[in-house]
Amino acid sequence: MKALCWQGKNRVRIEQVDDPRIINDRDAIVRVTRTAICGSDLHLFDGYIPTMEPGDILGHEFMGEVVEVGPEVRKLKRGDRVVMPFTIACGQCYYCKNDLWSACDNTNPNAWMMEKMYGFSGSALFGYSHMMGGYAGGQAQFARVPFADVGPIKVPEGLPDDQVLFLSDIFPTGFMAAENCDIKPGQVVAVWGCGPVGQFAIRSAFLLGAERVIAIDRYAERLKMARAGGAEIINYQEVDDLVEELKWVTGGRGPDAVIDAVGLEAHGTGIMAFYDYSRQRMKVSFDRPMVLRQAIQACAKGGVVSIPGVYGGILDKLPFGSAFGKGLIFKMGQTHVHRYRQTLMEKIQAGAIDPSFVITHRLSLDDAPEAYFTFRDKQDQCIKVVLDPWQEARAA
Amino acid sequence: MTITTSIPRKTQDEPSPNLESILMLASGAALAGLGIWRRGWTGAALAGGGACLLYGAATGFRRPYQGRVRVAVTIVKDSEEIYSFLSNPGNWAPFLHAIELENRGAGRLSLRFGNPPGIDFESQIEITDHKPADYVAWASDHAMLSHRGVMRFKKAPGDRGTEVSVALEYNAPAGPVAHALAALVGWHPEQVVRESLRHLKQLLEAGEIPTTEGQPVGARGVKGAALRVLHREPPREAIPAPLRATGD
Ligand SMILES: NC(=O)c1ccc[n+]([C@@H]2O[C@H](COP(=O)([O-])OP(=O)(O)OC[C@H]3O[C@@H](n4cnc5c(N)ncnc54)[C@H](O)[C@@H]3O)[C@@H](O)[C@H]2O)c1
Ligand SMILES: [Zn+2]
Ligand SMILES: [Zn+2]
Repeated sequence: MKALCWQGKNRVRIEQVDDPRIINDRDAIVRVTRTAICGSDLHLFDGYIPTMEPGDILGHEFMGEVVEVGPEVRKLKRGDRVVMPFTIACGQCYYCKNDLWSACDNTNPNAWMMEKMYGFSGSALFGYSHMMGGYAGGQAQFARVPFADVGPIKVPEGLPDDQVLFLSDIFPTGFMAAENCDIKPGQVVAVWGCGPVGQFAIRSAFLLGAERVIAIDRYAERLKMARAGGAEIINYQEVDDLVEELKWVTGGRGPDAVIDAVGLEAHGTGIMAFYDYSRQRMKVSFDRPMVLRQAIQACAKGGVVSIPGVYGGILDKLPFGSAFGKGLIFKMGQTHVHRYRQTLMEKIQAGAIDPSFVITHRLSLDDAPEAYFTFRDKQDQCIKVVLDPWQEARAA
Repeated sequence: MTITTSIPRKTQDEPSPNLESILMLASGAALAGLGIWRRGWTGAALAGGGACLLYGAATGFRRPYQGRVRVAVTIVKDSEEIYSFLSNPGNWAPFLHAIELENRGAGRLSLRFGNPPGIDFESQIEITDHKPADYVAWASDHAMLSHRGVMRFKKAPGDRGTEVSVALEYNAPAGPVAHALAALVGWHPEQVVRESLRHLKQLLEAGEIPTTEGQPVGARGVKGAALRVLHREPPREAIPAPLRATGD
């Protein structure tokens, strides 16, 4: 089959590889009908996530049709249309049973690596480095899905791929980011980053009753999409002092909750940004926590800092005194995708949201290597790329 | 938990250079070089490993090594169920990491270190004490590795199941260099215990040991293969038989 393989920083390519096969008895094989490139994939592409190996198949947002099931699979059968949560969970451990699926104890074959770095290991992820399990991802024509009775979400008839694909990651990620804000009537939420995760966070905040959402980015098309979702917008490059600006537009209180939907590759200018970029270039640090610093500083007293954006290492120069002084609450982590399957599928079915709004590029898998650049460099007003692994490449 | 042992402290051998230190010197330099070339975290790890080996080569003449291992996991099953699973020797092979245990009857087991070159040996273990669903204690006095340990089962608070712990003390004649090397490939006693307990938990809770062995991959190249060694993954993805619990 064809698959998108990581070969190093800035290097991904389509390779011909073996078809996946059932390895454990609860595995299933899906024929991938749609897959997407995520902002998280860019961290791999840019070489910021350790323990990648050349040849790794990328992709953690994918859906498809079940073509084979292992002898112990009970709930799935050939022909089912399913969306895979990007987190792989066992369904049986203490964490799974307590709805903390991305903390699953039992799915990471390389748990020791995560334990070395973080003390504990969370669940494995599809296509996301060897410390996160080393599982082959879904930017391919077929994929092996372990624990097939636990994760895959069956798609009700009548819903097209593009509407349900994002149940794999960015929709629940944006939703959890908003849910973590514990929004009460009349509250104001600020969202840094109007990438796909930010877009879903904005819409989810409204679904959960936010009075106002303030969206922050620097790309016109992304801000425009945020505004279409009901947010007020700030281009951070057009204001002198973002924290002051946020105070100004919130009657001096600051936003009740702040969402960092940017993560470790925040863009910035000024001395602090220069400092972060240099540390990252010298490999002293993985992270440029510019946005997190601003978000902490801007958040209202007693507010919530919700962090869906990914961080990898030890963060430098965080204004912890400010966080402590204001009594802030921090919530973060890999999304417990399984927790939101039902709720969000119902919202899609009820027409409360059509997640396909975020798609700007529909391409074939063969176009993926180029699309990584387009998406990362925000060329061609790109916001979200979905790929069809079976479609021929666009005529060059 | 402390365990008392009567393992006699070996007298320090006269330091003398040996093949071990020469090998370490070579591989240490190679690793450190690769690490510096690679940079990043993996690079740092490589360079660090290389430096350890170099240091080991410089200082690590054959010297007896004493160590202690303590690993605890919580398994969402009650202690009777775990104990009865463990009481069936037919269940052992899938979850043991790097070692094979065989039941020889009358409270005796034999332990084999899989097939790492150089540390391929078989030793006898004697169960010195046990209480069903509570603890098992053992001792072994082989020249390559003498150890005594205890595995305990304790009810976890709330509905979390059972805390299963292994504490053991060991004494091995191999030098610190051999230890560093063993750790690099996952055969260090601590890793043997930790990974075996992890697999036990995975089998009992999730019903399988997760694996990626046999999945498709793109071209790994020399660098990919080297990284796999560092990640303690088999250099080539072979297709193994499915792993599953047999005796429940
Ligand atoms: N927690 C999870 O489980 C989870 C799941 C999916 C994605 N993520 C993470 O969420 C983050 C966003 O993902 P995405 O797909 O939307 O990525 P993306 O790269 O498309 O979006 C990031 C956006 O942040 C903006 N940005 C950069 N610097 C900024 C700054 N200083 N201030 C304001 N905005 C800034 C960029 O212009 C861009 O629009 C990534 O870190 C990704 O890894 C986390
Ligand atoms: Zn993602
Ligand atoms: Zn689990």
